[in-house]
Amino acid sequence: MPEIEFNVDNIAKLAMLDLTDEQRVLFTEQLPSIMAYVSKLHEVDTSEISSSAYLTDLVNIVQADEVLPSSEELRADLIKAFPCEKGDALEVPAIFE
Amino acid sequence: MQYKTAIGIRRAIEAKEITAIEVLEHYLEVIKNKDNEIGAFLEVFENEAREQANKIDNMVATGQSLPRMAGVPIAIKDNMLYQGKVASAGSKMLEKYVATYDSTVVDRLKKAGAVIIGRTNMDEFAMGSSTETSFWQKTKNPVDVTKTPGGSSGGSAAAVAAGMVPVSLGSDTGGSIRQPAALCGVVGMKPSYGRVSRYGLIALGSSLDQIGPFATTPQDAALVLEVIEGLDVHDATSVELTETTASELIEENFNGMKFGVPKEYFVDEMDSEVKKVIEEAINQIKENGGTIKEVSLPLTEYALSAYYIIQPAEASSNLGRFDGMRYGTRALSDNLKESYLMARGEGFGNEVKRRIMMGAYVLSAGYYDAYYKKALQIRQMIANDFKRVFEEVDVIISPTSPCVAWGLGDKFDDPIAMYLADIFTVSANIAGIPGISVPCGTVHGLPVGLQFLAGAFKDGKILRVAAAFEQLKVNNS
Repeated sequence: MPEIEFNVDNIAKLAMLDLTDEQRVLFTEQLPSIMAYVSKLHEVDTSEISSSAYLTDLVNIVQADEVLPSSEELRADLIKAFPCEKGDALEVPAIFE
Repeated sequence: MQYKTAIGIRRAIEAKEITAIEVLEHYLEVIKNKDNEIGAFLEVFENEAREQANKIDNMVATGQSLPRMAGVPIAIKDNMLYQGKVASAGSKMLEKYVATYDSTVVDRLKKAGAVIIGRTNMDEFAMGSSTETSFWQKTKNPVDVTKTPGGSSGGSAAAVAAGMVPVSLGSDTGGSIRQPAALCGVVGMKPSYGRVSRYGLIALGSSLDQIGPFATTPQDAALVLEVIEGLDVHDATSVELTETTASELIEENFNGMKFGVPKEYFVDEMDSEVKKVIEEAINQIKENGGTIKEVSLPLTEYALSAYYIIQPAEASSNLGRFDGMRYGTRALSDNLKESYLMARGEGFGNEVKRRIMMGAYVLSAGYYDAYYKKALQIRQMIANDFKRVFEEVDVIISPTSPCVAWGLGDKFDDPIAMYLADIFTVSANIAGIPGISVPCGTVHGLPVGLQFLAGAFKDGKILRVAAAFEQLKVNNS
């Protein structure tokens, strides 16, 4: 098993999370011990075992890509539910400089 | 009101012994009297509930045939979408999020004539075992208000335990229905993975999440499950069922049934008094015709580790969408990256951040194989162990929780102690099998839950066993 190197600032960046100073101190203490606890599973030999993210026998469930009717009212609700809107459109910040 | 169960209420309405609006007003009154102290509800939908109850009364008056849950009040967990209503998943992040469609469970409840009475408190994004990580409020255990109701569906469990509603819905990713049911002294069931559609459920761990009922009787749990279960084109993991739960067909004896008791579940960490109550329950089953056999699930001690890798990994991915762009509150910054960090930093609480970071860590380059892939392999081995045991026995019996309800705040600062509360429940989610918790006694006045597990899609079997167990308690009292 790899040695547990847990740099809280790096992981927070990877996870896209701002941490408060208090949280930084708390997680620096807690997260390595949680990882040490779950590392117990390295005691089990799994060399012969395959892995799958799901256990059910379902494969390739597909659905026709159909356009279904909607209403103006629902459209307005969807726009309203978005964090920022401008008139009748969804507003997002520019991603290119 | 003399009618306490969903089935009893439905029958009484049909027989014109009571009206749907009278039933609703009774429960609204109980909520008004009790919920200031308990804190189970985040919102009560009085107007919509009255509208639905009136609709049912009109159906009765005009002689129409009534649907399966006609006039039965039900509460839903705050992570299930109900069109036009806030669904906040217990988080500040979704404070203002109003659902624009009905989740499949809500849609099916409405069509079955159920009266959705409100949304209940939960741990933030269902991460927790005490309902204390909710951004909104603390929920108290109705049995003893100094104790936790358990979690994450603590609001739904407490609502049923306090008699504020006859039935409710929760979601169970690692025990979040069964554990609070045990701690509050009610029935709680996690169906087989694939049995109930998760369309419109705010996702936590997509390979683990299932929606299920809380009730005061197994028959009521079966009724609710029958209404919400089955194939749904909106959830590709939902399965077409070959048999329904059949609440009316619940049998009430153990004759000819083989029960497995896993020796690994009776560990030293378990409270000795809880252990005694569970052993008494097992004896009762034996004395009443059940065959008891010791079985072995050797990887039990690793299930919790596998769970706390798979679940945070899936959660970190599922919660990626809460970034202030698509959902949440947009953080104002000139720098795009910074606005993501700020929105997520401000919107999420400690436990959610902890798990997102664990997930990001186990999925990161260099650790993926050692943690995530390893956990998936152990998951496969655990599922194989269950399959092997279910060739020998019909049902597995175990405690639901290693302890009774603990004091509010007691484990809040110790994440590992909190995670250990799930030790007997996570395996069912890991293996995708159904599990039910039924009350089986008390320790110092606090409820103890007995868990029944069966093979995948044998949900009817554990409901029948649970009903037989309840009948035993009635006969003995």
